[in-house]
Parts: sequence; structure tokens; C-alpha cells
Amino acid sequence: MNGYAGKILRINLTSRQTTTMPTSRYEEWVGGHGMGSAIFFDLVPLDRLRDKTIDGFDPANVVTMMTSPLSGTLVPAGAGRTEVQGIGVQSYPIGWFTRSNFGGRFSTMLKSAGWDGIVLEGKADRPVWLDIRDGQVEIRDCTPLSLWGQDTWQCQETIWKYVADGQDYGGWIDPGGEIDGQTTQRPAVVAIGPAGENLSRMACLIHDASNGSGQGGFGAVWGSKNLKAVSVIGTGTIDVNDPKALIEARLWQKKHYAFDLSRLKGQSVGTHFMSPPVGGQLWKGRPTERQRPQACVGCHSGCRARYESGLGNEASCYTTVFYANAKSLEIQRKASDLLNRYGLNAHEMTFVVFYIRDLAKRGILGPGKKIDCPFDLTTFGSLEFVQQLIKAIAYRNDGRGGKSQFGDDLAEGCMRAAKRWGRLEEDLRTGQLPFPHWGIPIHRDPRAQLEWGYGTILGDRDINEHDFDWLHWQPTNAKLSGRPMQIDAEEAIGIYTKKMVPFQDDPLMLDYGTENMYSEHIAKLVAWHRYYTRFWKQSALFCDWRWPDFINVHAPDNTGSTGEAEPKFLKAVTGKDFSFLDGIELGRRIWNLDHAIWTLQGRHRDMVHFAEFIYNQPMWGPTHCLPGRKDGKWVYFDTVGRKVDKQKFEEFKTAFYRLQGWDETTGYPNRNTLESMQLGYVADELEKNDTLGKG
Amino acid sequence: MQTLSTPDESLADRVLREVGFDQRLVGYRMRERTGPMPASLYSFEEVVHLLNDKLPFVDLRQLRQWVETVTEDAELATAVADAIREETNDRDRMLRIKTLMGERLCQCKKVVHS
Repeated sequence: MNGYAGKILRINLTSRQTTTMPTSRYEEWVGGHGMGSAIFFDLVPLDRLRDKTIDGFDPANVVTMMTSPLSGTLVPAGAGRTEVQGIGVQSYPIGWFTRSNFGGRFSTMLKSAGWDGIVLEGKADRPVWLDIRDGQVEIRDCTPLSLWGQDTWQCQETIWKYVADGQDYGGWIDPGGEIDGQTTQRPAVVAIGPAGENLSRMACLIHDASNGSGQGGFGAVWGSKNLKAVSVIGTGTIDVNDPKALIEARLWQKKHYAFDLSRLKGQSVGTHFMSPPVGGQLWKGRPTERQRPQACVGCHSGCRARYESGLGNEASCYTTVFYANAKSLEIQRKASDLLNRYGLNAHEMTFVVFYIRDLAKRGILGPGKKIDCPFDLTTFGSLEFVQQLIKAIAYRNDGRGGKSQFGDDLAEGCMRAAKRWGRLEEDLRTGQLPFPHWGIPIHRDPRAQLEWGYGTILGDRDINEHDFDWLHWQPTNAKLSGRPMQIDAEEAIGIYTKKMVPFQDDPLMLDYGTENMYSEHIAKLVAWHRYYTRFWKQSALFCDWRWPDFINVHAPDNTGSTGEAEPKFLKAVTGKDFSFLDGIELGRRIWNLDHAIWTLQGRHRDMVHFAEFIYNQPMWGPTHCLPGRKDGKWVYFDTVGRKVDKQKFEEFKTAFYRLQGWDETTGYPNRNTLESMQLGYVADELEKNDTLGKG
Repeated sequence: MQTLSTPDESLADRVLREVGFDQRLVGYRMRERTGPMPASLYSFEEVVHLLNDKLPFVDLRQLRQWVETVTEDAELATAVADAIREETNDRDRMLRIKTLMGERLCQCKKVVHS
């Protein structure tokens, strides 16, 4: 089994037993999410899913942390991520079975220690951490190192020192595992902060400075299991089927498709394979101090940065957008560090700041107001304000050590806080609380970027998959700046469509026009996107920041490497002849398994709808261009001002369910659909629950 | 170079005050990864702050109206209208308006602190 360590570590925190499962048992799923979903389905008590008596905080919740065959290898932007799954606690009204993944060096270290993944079950009777050194695994109490109560950075540093046993940085350490190897590395540690310990539904897992498993509230899930951290250090190797082919594939990919600093061709942003380093910083301004790119293992183009001052190290994406109203860039960077240290999800926290300030300005929230808030809102923008806010949520108090219902409310997340405050219905209707799907904040507007919004409401979380962003950003940027379009709509559609097997003959799936937005063509777009990401991104673990490579202005005919590159890398590592289309089909199988789990959790067609403002409020904001047809020709057009038509969205759901082979009335999977994907055992479980489709 | 006449104390006070929810202006910080990030702007200074972002967006017609009716700064509103009409794209319009509003903000702070 080239590319695999060969075994999966299973930890029962209740009994403190560690056991091993052979990876080969789940090899048909290849890795990452596919394996995680299959393991979850096998190990979670399905009867408790069926009778709805299990939630994310239940000790019976099963959490998986999976790598892929590519992890720890030289695959560019495809070797550094770890996929986390389990029942989440963030989404609303139900904490769906969900996922989140993070980058860095954890997956590499886990495989170097001889493990393809970790399964976490049960609940420890007191706070513990996992100490994995090659094949030796210990469940250790937090007390001797005083880990419980430490922030995520303190916790990691404490564990590094403990495992290094007094060795300075750069010195060789002998981790003491069964391989008897040595390393100059320090353990890769994933930790929760005070927010996770106190079960905030926005709590996340943090690895190194700013790799966050952000969505799903997995920090709180770990907190509920009394699990503070997982540390792993490995001294082994990862077998690659054809190292020469792997290196040649990497050089081919870099030569033809990566950025060239001497000819950037206007690619100043960091979403594509061709993007240059340090594109992940979205701060309100550009830090002027010295900095250098920082990358996950194997990446050709580090999207993050390390700074001379250390402020905001490794932060990217939403972690660099949070508190953009800060009075200075320095305060914003310090706020970002606080999020990481206390272990809070930057996406939702960004909207917490907007929401409470607007409520305060409306006279609803503040000291002694209807929503009694202990903060001095006149200090908004200061470091003191954001410190108090973060601490209040992390400790469920007033942010200064005193009792406060306000901190307790916000720790539940915006949706549940708004419900407690009696504001939920009105603020979702007006869009004052812009949380369009499953209680998760808006990211890409469902009224415009259809594959994103529809994919999210048909799934479990903000999909956060930027695969089609180029089709929006390039024309939008051109329109705003007055610069010429790099690639016209017709050429772009041709490049994208050709790669979207097996739907490559239907370019209309990329027509975002209002006439087409509820059609069977858009159903194909959403479906293809779900399949591609479920397998190639979340199971093979290609990074969302650099893949897929659809359009590439460095390549001949502006055509990127997606379709050819992904299987090329997988074959070099595993030796398997596994085509791009095989990956799409396996992605479909994984998507169907996930959907079956949601169905067991209570998902029904009638629940699948957006918050009211998506139907009754025109889309706000700046120009948001997308491709569509006008008078028979492909053009880019502006979607601002558009709404989703509630009735027509129902027609879209019917088209989507039909395409999936699910029951059009209920959304339940049909037996023949599941059996066609060797998921007959899943159909049996749905049948026991009376949630098998009638088709 | 000064392009706007020196404001009186009354205008300076209006420019430097915070406004309520109903008088706020909504702007956006544009980011490829996150999409447009909305921001409620409760003062003239916050608007300038946003316009200094690396990729800001404000509905410029709303902005002109806001300057005219909330700040009651007729001279600046006219200058903003000129910028909207004379520049050929939003990015250049915003750059020019940012300079104008930044100048007005500095003037008003000087008046209040003198």
C-alpha cells in the first residue's frame, strides 16, 4: 500500500484503550473524507442517530482525523492537510455530521509516525492529551503540565518542550517510540484553547500558529471529550510507488502552471495554482516589516507569512479579515493572534463583531439595555474591546472574570444568541443577521454564486470551496478597475466545461443567469462541485487554495492542469491507475454516504431552505459579475440586486434530487441509487429508520 | 494642495460626530477569498478609514448623498459628484474621493483642536 502508513489509530477516551485498525479495511475510499465518513458510519451508534438522541457533545460522537496517500509527499499544494469529521455543534438548528480541514505539518508527522488517521471515541473522565511517538501512544493527564486552561500556543509550546526533553531547537531528539529513530523536528500538535474547554460552539482546533480546523465547532467537541491536544512526532518514512515519477510530475506542474515572479501577469491574489506566495493575507493594509512566505508541507507557494515582529504569523483568509474596523493594522494583527490563542473560528467571529455593534447602535444592546452587554461600546476599534469580546466568548463571562449572561449567550454562536435575545426571526428576515444557511454566516452570496450557496444548503456547512471563483473575480475586478478582461466569457466557459466530466457536454451548467439559475444545468454544476471536492479536495486532500487548476494564464491556451494533474500525482504515489473520472465517481459515492448520514440525523427536503432574507431582499453589495448568456452570446453580467425565488428554488431542488436519484418528495436516498454505488448496507439502515426513498 | 475651503466649527462638528444606525453608510472590503465583507460605517472618519483599505467599495451615489444630507457638506458633495462624473472607473473614483474626504477630515480635526 504505497502512500499509506498502513494502520489507523483508534482511541477510546472513556476506557483509555488504544487499538489499531488496518487502513486496508477502508482503502476503497482512498483517504481523508471518504475514509472518515465510512469509519464514522461503522463506529457511531446508528440507533442513536436514528432516534436523534446523539449530538456533537455526546461521548458517543466519533471524531476522525484523516490523512491521504499524498500527505507528507512532494505533491505541490496537496501534501499538507488533515481532514476532521464528526457530528458538529456549530450549525443550526441541527448540528450536522460535518467536516473541517487544516494545513501545516500534522498529517505528515502522523504518517511519519506510522498512522494514516486517528479515531476519537468516548469521553475522558478528566482532561487529557494524546502523546504519540511513532507507534507508542499514551493518553496523558493534563494536570502535570497544567495544560488545561492554557491557550493553544502555550499548550503547544509546553508539549514541544516536554517531548524534546530539554533539547534546544535544532538539536536531535529521540522521541522514544518503537522505531528508535531520531529527529530534529518538534511534535506537530493540535490543541484547543479556552473557548473549546468552555464548549463555545465557535471553538476550533489550532495547529502551529494559525492552522485552524475552523468550522463545525470541533474545539468544543474535543472540550466535551476532555481532550486538550493531540501531539505526534514520527521518525519513519512514507513509501512512494514511483519517486522519480513524483518528482517529474512536480517539476512539470511547476514549470508549466506555477507562478513566475518575473511575470506575474496580474495574479496578485492567492486563489489559484498560478498564484504567487503570500496571497493569503487579507489585512486591512500591508504590513511593511520584513516577512517571508510560510507554507504547508510540500507546497510550492506558501500563502501565509511570518513577520519580523511575529504579529499575525501564519494567519490567512478570515483570520486576517477579523476586526478590520480596528483602529490600526497592529491592533488587527493582535486581534488575529488572540483568536488563534483562545481558539475561535474567525469566520463567525467576524460577523459577531458586526452584529453586536449594529445592535448597540440600534439601542438594543449595551449596559442596561434589553440585551445587557458589559462592554463599553465607545471603545470599539481598540485592542481592549476585542480582548474583552474574545475572552467573554471563550470563558462565557464578561471578559474580565465576572459573571455575564451576555458572554454565555454569544459563546453559543450568533444564531442561538439571537434566539435567546428574541431577535432571530426578524434579523434573518431583514438580513441584519446575514446567516443564510444552517446558521453559518454568509461567505458567497447564494443569490449570485449559485454553486456555493446551493452546495451549502444541500450540505452541512459553508462549503468554503473556491473552485469557480475565477469566473466571478476576474470580471468583477476588471469592471471595478476599468482594466481589460483577461479571458472572455466564452473562452472561460469552454475551459471549465471541458474538464467537468462527465458533464463536459453541457456548458449551460455555467450559465449563472437568472433564467437558468434553477435549471437542471445548474443542478449538474452543483453536483459536479460536490463530487470533485468530496474526493479530490477532501479525500485526496488537494488544497482549496491552489486547486483545481482550471484557468491558468501561464499555460498554453490558458488551460490549467486539472483533470490531468490530480491522477498523475495519485498514481506516482500509490501506483494505482485511478482516473480523474474515477475520483469524481468516488466523490459521488462519498457525497451520497454523507447525505445518508444527514438523513439519519433528520434531514428532509422541507428543511432545505435559505434564511428568509435570501428570498425577500435584493442582493446587496458591490458589483458581482458572473458568466451568463445574453442574446445567445456568453457575457459577464452583474448579479447585484437579484433575489432567490422561493418557489423556483423548490423546482431546483426537485431537479437536483432527480439527478442524484433521490426521492423527489422527501430528499431521501433511493435504494437502487445506493446499491448502484455499493452502499446497500446504508440503504438497510435508512430503511430501518423509515427514511429510505420510495423511488 | 488644498482643494476644499476651510470648514467652520459647525461643519467640523458634523464631520467628526458619530451617527446612529439609521444614518449609517454600508461599505465593503473586497477580498477574493472572503467575498465582499460588509461594514457599517458610523462616522465620516470610518468612511475614510474604509476608503483607505486596499480594495474598498462604497456605493458612490449613496456616499455623495450621505455627505450632502448627513454631513451637510455641500462643497464636498459637489466635489464627490465631480469625481464620479469625471473618472472612468470605480477604483479611480474612489481614489479621488478618498483624497478629498481625507483632506476634509484633517481640516475638521485641525479646526476642532485649534
